[in-house]
Amino acid sequence: MDPSRAISRARFLALVAGGAVLGYGGARIWGRAIKGWRYNTVERPVPAFDASEYRLVVDGLVERPLTFTYDELRALPGVRQVSDFHCVEGWGVDDVQWDGVRLQTLIDLAGPAANAKYVTFHSMGGVYRDSLSLQQARLPDVLVAYDMDGEPLKDDHGLPLRLVMPRMFGYKGPKWLTRIEFRDLQDTGYWEARGWRIDAWINA
Amino acid sequence: MDQRLSGVDSASQGVSLVRRFGLATRLVHWGLAVPFVLLLLTGLTNYWPELKAIHLGGARLLAWLHVVLGFAMVGVAVALGAGALARRDTRRDAREVARVGMDDYLWLQHQGLRLAGEASNPPRVGKFNAGQKLNALASAGVTAGLLGTGTVLGVNYVSKTVFSVGLVEPVFRWHTALALLFVPVLLGHVYLAVVHPSTRESLRGMTRGMVRREWARRHHPSWVSDLEREEGAGTPRGSR
Repeated sequence: MDPSRAISRARFLALVAGGAVLGYGGARIWGRAIKGWRYNTVERPVPAFDASEYRLVVDGLVERPLTFTYDELRALPGVRQVSDFHCVEGWGVDDVQWDGVRLQTLIDLAGPAANAKYVTFHSMGGVYRDSLSLQQARLPDVLVAYDMDGEPLKDDHGLPLRLVMPRMFGYKGPKWLTRIEFRDLQDTGYWEARGWRIDAWINA
Repeated sequence: MDQRLSGVDSASQGVSLVRRFGLATRLVHWGLAVPFVLLLLTGLTNYWPELKAIHLGGARLLAWLHVVLGFAMVGVAVALGAGALARRDTRRDAREVARVGMDDYLWLQHQGLRLAGEASNPPRVGKFNAGQKLNALASAGVTAGLLGTGTVLGVNYVSKTVFSVGLVEPVFRWHTALALLFVPVLLGHVYLAVVHPSTRESLRGMTRGMVRREWARRHHPSWVSDLEREEGAGTPRGSR
């Protein structure tokens, strides 16, 4: 190469540094586009969360109807769980870290009546809801989660609270959870009304 | 059609045209390009929750369209592929695309030097330059990959019990990666075919089938000389 065209060391280092930054940023964006979350919601605009107004209501066929503020929820005995998330559309996110309360804990606090067989979960926006049998709801890895990957849930992920049911597809886990209702008959959820399976067990 | 087009153009406007692509090659191109773009657009709505939530009669409209169009495109691709294999002119175009050699390397080097502002002489270019070959081969490979992975995902759309999530999710990622990687290639292709002043004439070759002889001689000199040798030898034009 013509030596007069050789680039200076400073310029070379600047190019390498720029390339590294671009490469790192590109790889992160790429990773998120390929392996990351995709948002699904029928609640638009995203329900707004106000910690002073928010309540989680546990009611229906229970011996002790309960109401929790956000702080009271966070003060309950919590668990940390790492589980994979699978969307019915075909994508998934591995190793999501959830912090929250076992649904079983809330069930025991409320005390289901003898005729309570199913649990319905309501979203704050009033559009989305889904349900589990009481037996499914008692599985130990079913959580009401307030933190995802070490931080409070992002708006799109259901701030302040979402149901996590790792053994079923994601549509069984309503976001912006505000009410847990015990029933004697199973409620038809939003997507079930549109033809999706009631028991969305994952074909692992 | 051959006779009429070239006759009219050369007589009334005094411009000599040469046939670049026969009807069959153009059919293959547009028969795949149109569903490809529709599938890309409906597929990209995966990143747009508002559009994903639109449903019609219980089905998510855009996801459903994507799957239906995808299955249709598999059928179209098989039919066009079989048709192209059966015809001499399309086989010949395919062979030209796949003939990759030293000249292609030199052509890429020439373009690189030009971009860097260095003087460089181009190698002789035949019917396709190295960029066109790379584009065509990448398009064919990506299309095959997307149709293959898409078939798995389409079956999974219909029934969640055929494949396990352990298979579906990696296939989903490959499908996404192939589609996203291809977007810049597609944008470059469209830019060169529609916007870039010195290359956009090639679009006429893919729409009407003809390009100006003078343009072709500048961009594809070896191809034009071969063509003229065949013309001189009296090969009937329509028979290629």
